[in-house]
Amino acid sequence: MESSQGRKHLFDLKIPLGSLLGFYGVLLLLYGLLGPASVYTKSFNVNVNIIWGILMILIASAFLASSYLGRSTKH
Amino acid sequence: MTPVISMNFIDYTILAAYVIITIVVGYALKKYMKTSEDFFLSGRSLPSWITSLAFLSANLGALEVIGMVANSAKYGILTVHFYWIGAIPAMIFLGIFMMPFYYSSRVRSVPEYLKLRYNEATRGLNALSFAIMTLLMSGISMYAMALLFELMLGWSLTSSILLSAIVVLIYVFFGGLSSSIYNEVIQFFLIWLGLLPVVYIGLHAVGGFEGLVRRIPASFMHAWQPMSSAANNPMGVDWIGVVLGLGFVLSFGYWTTDFLVVQRAMASEDLAAARRTPLVASFPKMLVPIIVVIPGLLAVALLPQFKIASGAVAQGGATPDYNSALILMFAHYLPNGILGLAITGLLASFMSGMAGNVTAFNTVWTYDIYGSYIKKNMPDQHYLKMGKYATIFGVLFSVGTAYIVQSFPNLMDYMQLIFTFFNAPLFATFLLGMFWKKATPWGGFFGLLSGILAAAFHYFVLYRPGIVHYPSEMAANFYQAWWAWCADFVVTIVVSLFTAKKEESALAGLVYGLTPRPHSGSTLFRKPEFWAVVSLVMMVALNIIFW
Repeated sequence: MESSQGRKHLFDLKIPLGSLLGFYGVLLLLYGLLGPASVYTKSFNVNVNIIWGILMILIASAFLASSYLGRSTKH
Repeated sequence: MTPVISMNFIDYTILAAYVIITIVVGYALKKYMKTSEDFFLSGRSLPSWITSLAFLSANLGALEVIGMVANSAKYGILTVHFYWIGAIPAMIFLGIFMMPFYYSSRVRSVPEYLKLRYNEATRGLNALSFAIMTLLMSGISMYAMALLFELMLGWSLTSSILLSAIVVLIYVFFGGLSSSIYNEVIQFFLIWLGLLPVVYIGLHAVGGFEGLVRRIPASFMHAWQPMSSAANNPMGVDWIGVVLGLGFVLSFGYWTTDFLVVQRAMASEDLAAARRTPLVASFPKMLVPIIVVIPGLLAVALLPQFKIASGAVAQGGATPDYNSALILMFAHYLPNGILGLAITGLLASFMSGMAGNVTAFNTVWTYDIYGSYIKKNMPDQHYLKMGKYATIFGVLFSVGTAYIVQSFPNLMDYMQLIFTFFNAPLFATFLLGMFWKKATPWGGFFGLLSGILAAAFHYFVLYRPGIVHYPSEMAANFYQAWWAWCADFVVTIVVSLFTAKKEESALAGLVYGLTPRPHSGSTLFRKPEFWAVVSLVMMVALNIIFW
């Protein structure tokens, strides 16, 4: 059977992963800012959506940036 | 029955975005699938950070998460044994000692190694039992998932089963192992990001870690102290059972020979990366208790039905449904938004668990059953196509199993039990195969068969009718694994002494002493040995801290 050893293939996973987490981050942040405050009685009035939204945006940016830098050093 | 959790449009948007991205990723991988190796082994081209996270996630299925949270609510911090002693030594052993044989011999599956090292019969026994068990387990976990989503969200069993089956079918059909691995990495992040808020808000509610310690029984905070005798701890296991049964046989049997996990390491870009895969994975593995053990302890501290300290459980009579511990934590403490993320994390681990089973099945089916016994020596494209058909068949068979289990719920425990018959002894066959060049082909076959039969004998003839007693079901399970392993080990050696050996030239690359020592990575951070030492030190330190 054919061997495909050494052939760099597949696209960079960091792009869909970063996009998904980035989308979640923005969504949570917006919902945390604009949504009803009543839902946070469950979490002792801590608006976890804002905190988690920002955190996820940071993680997503790290993935997307590292993917972008990785590509530009190769070429 | 009203659902425990009510999701709103934000939660559903989060769930839908996950489903869409998995299908897009699967479809986008389609054009890279040119040969059977691309489809079954990702063309052996993935970097070790991806294979490591997939290696870990393949074992972090939702059933496992729910079950381990339940264990922690029931037994406390003893549950860490499944993550530390019950995983780390085996992962290190795989990376340092076994991976060179798996990767350098260019075998494409675990059964194929058995064929090269022993004979066709040993491969056949392992391939058939693995293929059948994998699909049955996939069906069982699909059913369990459907039950959970019915309880949680009120979805019907059929709609959960169809949703997961269709999504998994689409992405594995197009992208093979690469799809499966990419989804496992996505799942890794979702399950951590989804469960950490429960820990954060829960700790906030009990007043930090000290507050948690004050509210749970003292024995819940020690991993080894209650282990001096089986009677002293709620798990009913002594330290010998934990070390031999869980730490040695079950853990090594699972992490070093189960193709579902080994396949992830085989997909690495080179030998050094393949060896680093389980070693790098051991670090997040040690930290998994943060998202499974702490929520279980928090459930004991916060939810009245699990309060053991106050005696509510002991006196109340009714045993709480420990499996609902995590879901009740979601329901009580997660506001909408973050709630959707947690549920998506669970759904993701269900789906990737199922996809993992399906990809391991289609590889073993195509290479070790179809390509070895049914149609040999066909062009590569033929096997690629067969892999895709096997994916469809595998998913349909899993759906069928899910419906059969629905009518006979007791089957579920039964099949999980039978699975251990096949898994436990296999490690003896590998250990002797890789490190003792005098082990003969028929020694391997009869050793493996004896191990399986010994496990069955122990269960059906000795344990079930009550001839031997154990303090708990778990202790019985640990000791059964140990005796099955011993039977395999002894029979393999005895039969090897009386049967014909293989030529040494046929064993090159397969056995220790006949294989060139692997070339380690160039820098310290690329050397597998470096990571093995760091990982081992960290594991010992954690055990001492939570002594």
